[in-house]
Amino acid sequence: MDYTVGSVAPIVLLPFFAFAINAFIVKRFTKTAVGISCLAIFGSLLYSLAIFKDFVFGQYATNYYIHKVFTWFDLGPSFKLNMGIYIDNLTAVMLLMVSGCAFLIHIFSTYYMADDIRFGRFFVYMSLFTSAMLGLVVSDNLLGMFIFWEIMGFCSYSLIGHYYEKEEAGAASIKAFMTTRVGDVFFLLGIVMVWHTVARATGEGSVALVDIYKVLAMGGFDNLTLWGFPLVTCAALAIFMGTIGKSAQFPLQVWLPDAMMGPTPCSALIHAATMVAAGVFLSLRIYPLLEAGNLTTFVAYIGAITAFGAATIALVQTDLKAVLAYSTISQLGYMVLGIGVGAYNAAFMHLITHAVFKACLFLSAGSVIHSLHDHHTHAHVQEMPRMGGLRKKMPLTFLAMMCCTLAISGIPFFSGFVSKDRILGDALLRALDDGGALWGPAVLGFVAAFLTAFYMFRMMFLTFFGNPKDQELYDHTHVEKLSWNRNVPLLVLTLFTLGFWYSGSFTGQKLVKFPVIKKEWFQTLIEKPEKSKLGRFKDLKRQEWSSVDNRDKTPLPKSSYDPNHGLSEERAHHVHHVHHIGAILSIIIAFSGVGLAYLMYVAGKLNPSWWVNKLSGWYKALQNKYYFDDFYIKGVIQKGLLKLNNLLAAFDMGIFDRFAIDGWKTINEWAFRLSGKFDDEVIDKAGVGGGPLVVKGFNVILRTLQSGKVQFYFIVIIVVLVSYIFSI
Amino acid sequence: MITLSSYLVISTILFLAGIVVMIARKNIVAILLGIELILNASALNFVAYTKFVNQNLDGHIFPLFIIIVAAAEAAVGLAIVIRFYQIRESIHIDDATQLQS
Repeated sequence: MDYTVGSVAPIVLLPFFAFAINAFIVKRFTKTAVGISCLAIFGSLLYSLAIFKDFVFGQYATNYYIHKVFTWFDLGPSFKLNMGIYIDNLTAVMLLMVSGCAFLIHIFSTYYMADDIRFGRFFVYMSLFTSAMLGLVVSDNLLGMFIFWEIMGFCSYSLIGHYYEKEEAGAASIKAFMTTRVGDVFFLLGIVMVWHTVARATGEGSVALVDIYKVLAMGGFDNLTLWGFPLVTCAALAIFMGTIGKSAQFPLQVWLPDAMMGPTPCSALIHAATMVAAGVFLSLRIYPLLEAGNLTTFVAYIGAITAFGAATIALVQTDLKAVLAYSTISQLGYMVLGIGVGAYNAAFMHLITHAVFKACLFLSAGSVIHSLHDHHTHAHVQEMPRMGGLRKKMPLTFLAMMCCTLAISGIPFFSGFVSKDRILGDALLRALDDGGALWGPAVLGFVAAFLTAFYMFRMMFLTFFGNPKDQELYDHTHVEKLSWNRNVPLLVLTLFTLGFWYSGSFTGQKLVKFPVIKKEWFQTLIEKPEKSKLGRFKDLKRQEWSSVDNRDKTPLPKSSYDPNHGLSEERAHHVHHVHHIGAILSIIIAFSGVGLAYLMYVAGKLNPSWWVNKLSGWYKALQNKYYFDDFYIKGVIQKGLLKLNNLLAAFDMGIFDRFAIDGWKTINEWAFRLSGKFDDEVIDKAGVGGGPLVVKGFNVILRTLQSGKVQFYFIVIIVVLVSYIFSI
Repeated sequence: MITLSSYLVISTILFLAGIVVMIARKNIVAILLGIELILNASALNFVAYTKFVNQNLDGHIFPLFIIIVAAAEAAVGLAIVIRFYQIRESIHIDDATQLQS
């Protein structure tokens, strides 16, 4: 495949055209609109597969990338904005994940949304969303990412408010939009800081990733400060705030649970699999910046606190989707934790595995919710206390959800174990090596892993096991039949919750090796852009648009797997040792979590209500989500922002309106009157009336002179001649 | 003793007389007579100068030309006056105001 901007653009543009056609041409939303959407995303999927094949099976070297730009607009020599594509192995994997998940979720949506009155509208936004996400992934600069980032924010807003008849849905959509906006503002500030620094270092402003890496390698960020803090720290923190907002990290995690007001497939696509992963993806992209800003420990703590806090809240949720929402936040926390402890590769792997199993979990939840219909309220049932025993009614959904739950809980052989275990292993390694503050994230991570196993199996047991709690509801539920748009997407996703797809061995460790081939393609292809590896960007020429591919065409050496990851033998041995400890620990932890859930909810040996009574203070805090919503709404918004708004309103109406606006009005009135006078008196009388007067005067003179009397003319001639003679 | 200035005084008197006639008289024929006076004044000047300054015949030729031109001019002028009289039945100069517009 020949990579140019034009040849990669269809990935983004196909869904975008689907959106445009559906929104503006096929106005009556019919099956045609849905077909267009699905086909467009299938097209993107094929493109992504082609790129994936090229990069992953072609086994390009880890440092291979394609960077092509075009000039978006040019405002002179010092301000030229390029947009373009940046494709490396990370992008290739991400593209396949996004388009694959989106395609399967689109298929599922045709089942889930079929009887919705706004069937077509849903697909309009889904197409736009997918387009924006793919655009973000291939984008070569932060500003391009920011643009797509905001489009996704808008789509998220629209889809959360899909059932806008419900007041909560409207409120949730506004909440999601405003909360992420806090992060977005900082992200934009970070872009400005980076632009400024790049312009200072290279003479031409840019926020392209390669230029940022280049400036980092050149040391362009050194010795720059902002209010006494290093500029690179400020920039990295500001951009990371974008991640905090978008990926629902502490302390901006409040929007994601409410986002579950949207239709379940949109939750699957946006609030679990892809959009929230965009924040983590951004952090992966700017990892060198985070590293240069010495923010890694901070990032690790944010991730660990999020992972732990969300996991604890998930313990007490009774809504099926709420449990999944908190588990999403918790898993995103793991990814950020992974970035923080330097497990770059593992964090990205967890992003991919999580996207797959979380999409599947949400679709399964959708499948459950959609088939549970309350005949009294005519609503779908999401409450777990009314479910139970559903595995007999929906065996296929049960199979899918069970596999995903095993994956997310970190049971060996499943994908979640492979990736999460590597993150925890690296966290443990950093804690053992550097000690001190880094023990916090590691411990929180392991505790959260235990909680994850517990609450996920609690959810499974409450939903699918035991006796039906609501017999009437249970009886009304139809037995599931295999249908192509309900079960096939689930089963396809389920297939990819198996660990060997990602790791090349069953467990991700060397304990049980995959018998035939051992291609740890994730570790082979994706390399942490450490500071020492940025040197290759140092002498990079600014990429300019040209239709001719002027890049050096010599094929790069294929990347090969180094089991020691470039470390010395002794060091590698130590790393493997720690990872084995971590793996064994997390297996024990996962199984004990599952066991505890089993004892509580299936065997009935432990009574949950006893624990609730015993820890009632904690229980209350958890049910209120650690009072974050209260704090934000009552504290920050009502006490702070509302007061500030009132003050500003008082200033606006009392002072600004009265004095500035009314004063301006008076001044204007005076000015009008004055200019009216001036017009009447000066212009009209003197100017307009004066012209004729002058003309009239000349007229009199000339008329007098031209009397027609010959003798008068004669006198004039004489006078002139005489005066001429005397003047000589 | 007749000197150049005597001639010049005479010619000046003639010239001024002609101008006064031209300005003051309202009869067109009188005005033509005034013109003749002015021409004669200039002719006298030529003759006087050539007698006292040049002492050749150049100055004598010019009065001859002036006399001829004056004769022609008088003929044309009188013809105009007759034509004017036929139209206006008057030879009063203030009736000839058609140059006004």
